[in-house]
Amino acid sequence: MDWLERELKGALTREEPSADFASRVLRRTSEPVRPVYRWPQWLAAAAAVIVLAGAGLGYRQYRGEMAKEQVMQAFKITSVKVNRIQSAVEGVGK
Amino acid sequence: MIELQNPPETALDFADLVLEHQSMVFSVCWHFLHDRDQAEDVAQEVFLGLHRNIASIQSAAHAGHWLRKVAVQRAIDAGRRRARRPQVALEDVAEPVAHTPVRDPMLRETLRRLIATLPETPRMAMILRYQEDLDPTEIGQVMDMPVATVKSHLQRSLALLREKLARRGVREEKWTG
Repeated sequence: MDWLERELKGALTREEPSADFASRVLRRTSEPVRPVYRWPQWLAAAAAVIVLAGAGLGYRQYRGEMAKEQVMQAFKITSVKVNRIQSAVEGVGK
Repeated sequence: MIELQNPPETALDFADLVLEHQSMVFSVCWHFLHDRDQAEDVAQEVFLGLHRNIASIQSAAHAGHWLRKVAVQRAIDAGRRRARRPQVALEDVAEPVAHTPVRDPMLRETLRRLIATLPETPRMAMILRYQEDLDPTEIGQVMDMPVATVKSHLQRSLALLREKLARRGVREEKWTG
């Protein structure tokens, strides 16, 4: 063992914790253990299913609204085009 | 006199085990975490774990081994949990006054701080080697790692500490001379 190892042994000697350490540990061992409430697994699974189903329905509704909006937009564009063509045809007729 | 209100039904006296091993458990945590309050909290949890498992403890020697192994695991876990907080940086390590003899109180504090900057595995190996006086085989058993790995960690840590100390002007010739 060289000088550094001797110094390390000196630096890493065991030390005592605070004077009331043991009494604090013993006090805690006599405390009643608080029951940890856990959600029943079936309830967690059911909640997950409801959330996923809700999200799925919401997404379907969102997609439906989007499709409806696109169709309405297409109708508007078509209507504008038809009006222009109709005006042009009427112009030629005159 | 410490009284145990609900003593476990076992031949081993839990209060005696706490008094006998508190310095070992606390010191493993203290030297590893370098934080007295946190070390006491972790040491308390270690003893509470022993209390919960006292029925499986066969002898006082078994309790000592159990406590050491669990203290090592709990201290490493606590160190990981606080990893987000700033660690002791090498720059923060107190510089001993130059040209002082090696055997002074500053050196031991410097060594403790330098050990606190080592990565967790070599740090714990050093604590078990020099605080608990365990050989590499015993350290390997406590830390669940091959003896060769333990030896490698110890050798590299010693070399690193020598290098850091040399940079601070602490050398063997000053101590021997």
